Amino acid sequence: MQKTFWRCHVCNDIHYGLRPPEVCPTCGAKNAFARCDPAEVGKVQQPTEAIDTEEKVIQVWKEFAASNPICRLAEDENEVRMLAGGVLENMRNRGLKYCPCRITSGNLEKDLLLICPCNFVRQKNWTELGECWCGLFKKKED
Amino acid sequence: MAEKGDRLIWFWGRECPHCKQIRPTVERLESEMNIKLDHLEVWHDMNNQKLMQEYGDKISEACGGELGVPAFYNERTGKALCGYRIPLEKFKEWASGK
Repeated sequence: MQKTFWRCHVCNDIHYGLRPPEVCPTCGAKNAFARCDPAEVGKVQQPTEAIDTEEKVIQVWKEFAASNPICRLAEDENEVRMLAGGVLENMRNRGLKYCPCRITSGNLEKDLLLICPCNFVRQKNWTELGECWCGLFKKKED
Repeated sequence: MAEKGDRLIWFWGRECPHCKQIRPTVERLESEMNIKLDHLEVWHDMNNQKLMQEYGDKISEACGGELGVPAFYNERTGKALCGYRIPLEKFKEWASGK
């Protein structure tokens, strides 16, 4: 099965995945999603604010960590800022916000796994040291 | 500077905090063993990135499955170290080919 786009016929929310959500997370309508042509997606979606400054990137990370039950953002503000600068450099040079402590391989499928925040819970570093590879996200203490 | 095939290489990233953290240990290694590592930045220099990918199998094994920085590669022995928690003694063993 391949992921595809789905459009809520009530509020035009767009979902990308194998299956449509049962409940629209935006308007709450049930069983409201129909498969959507990729060409329509760009027209249906409204432009959103670019995440193109260190402050905005850090804000995204803070929101992510706040909503995630197992991780927190590193406390060293200088390191966090350096990493934010790094992902923005990679966005400018490579088109995606890749982790500045990993390296792209040129294989897009593999490289998509390096976009920050990556799926760090599968990393050896997470299980052994309690932090993601670059130390940006750390395990929440109980 | 050592010839290609005979080098001790440090692959690092300009925006990687762990690379910054390990720099004093690298400098101490160089000073105590009177050697010079090749410091190759990999996010802003495609040639360096390509070289790191050439040694990818050994380095990713040392990094726990994927390529990452800071990473160290001994061209003579083919041994790699990865991460920023490398004790100086282990560094010395790696550099001397033990």
